[in-house]
Amino acid sequence: MSDSLEQSFVKQLKTNQNIIHKICRLYTNGEDAHKDLFQEITIQLWKAFPKFRGDSKFSTWAYRVALNTAITLYRKSSRAIKTVDYENHQFFIGQEDYNYEEEERLKLMYKAVYQLNDIEKALVFMYLEDKDYAEISETLGITEVNARVKMNRIKGKLKKILNP
Amino acid sequence: MIMEELDLLKKDWQKNAAFEQVSEGEIYKMLHMKSSSIVKWIFIISILEILLWTMISVFFNTDDYLKNTKYEELNVYFEGLTVLNYAVILVFIYLFYKNYVSISTTVSTKQLMKDILKSRKTVQCYVWYNLGMVVLSLIIGFLIAFTSNPEVMVLRDKIASDGKIMVITIGILILTIAVFLSLFWLFYKLLYGILLKRLYRNYNELKKIDL
Repeated sequence: MSDSLEQSFVKQLKTNQNIIHKICRLYTNGEDAHKDLFQEITIQLWKAFPKFRGDSKFSTWAYRVALNTAITLYRKSSRAIKTVDYENHQFFIGQEDYNYEEEERLKLMYKAVYQLNDIEKALVFMYLEDKDYAEISETLGITEVNARVKMNRIKGKLKKILNP
Repeated sequence: MIMEELDLLKKDWQKNAAFEQVSEGEIYKMLHMKSSSIVKWIFIISILEILLWTMISVFFNTDDYLKNTKYEELNVYFEGLTVLNYAVILVFIYLFYKNYVSISTTVSTKQLMKDILKSRKTVQCYVWYNLGMVVLSLIIGFLIAFTSNPEVMVLRDKIASDGKIMVITIGILILTIAVFLSLFWLFYKLLYGILLKRLYRNYNELKKIDL
């Protein structure tokens, strides 16, 4: 019986692993750092799993724990990733709709996002995941109004980074 | 303008799902990683420790001392004891290695918990064996000194004639054993105690999860 808890955790994590991969993509640079963060988030999720009662979706719960882990680790390593090697990042643009101009714009956007701080990245992440403000506020533990204000500020900041 | 860029980013973000997928086996491994790295360190440290003792015994050779004593054949016993000691320690190192392999390949929490307890027990046995060996070799050393070292022989005669000196001598010997014993105990406590504590913490964490 006890093993089934672990089994169910591993199965759910496997199906929802892209959430973690995406967070790693936003918070790390390079394959090794990605793997390290992935593992750390996995361990934190497993530790928190007994408290997960299934009254929210696994993915919603995973967003919260994973983002908190990423933010905490990011703060610990105060040497914030400033020299991000965004050139090496993969942009997964399908061959058929390859568009050089679009790719350049995307590169600049990714570069700008990497310059945001930990909390701002979390907000952008939720935004990119197409979450509404209610879910953003619940996941990050801030009020909805605060989330909106922050998001607006982030937009301003990104604009400034793009057009200095 | 920024909204356009963000929308473009969002489109690209949601399009990609080409992350290298992690398998269930790999996830299990991640969950048990901490314990396996601790057990790996126990294995490595035990090897370093045997190297340390070997180097020390090369520098402080007891052969010359034993040659000065009356009974050179004691040398053989001493060497026999050394060989036996190395054999036992090698068995322990093998057990450490086996524990490491089984912990790093375990896929179930139940089995992992069992393996952790087993590893702890192995280390505890190892430490007790070493402490016992320290006491035993000290006692043997004293006996050899008293029965065969010409310099100590004089003391022996005095002891035989004076009860007070005997009590003092025995007291000093016991004190010496106690000092050595606590030094070695401290040494092992520092070497393995921290790792064992961490291992036990992992065990308790697993127990909390495994209800």
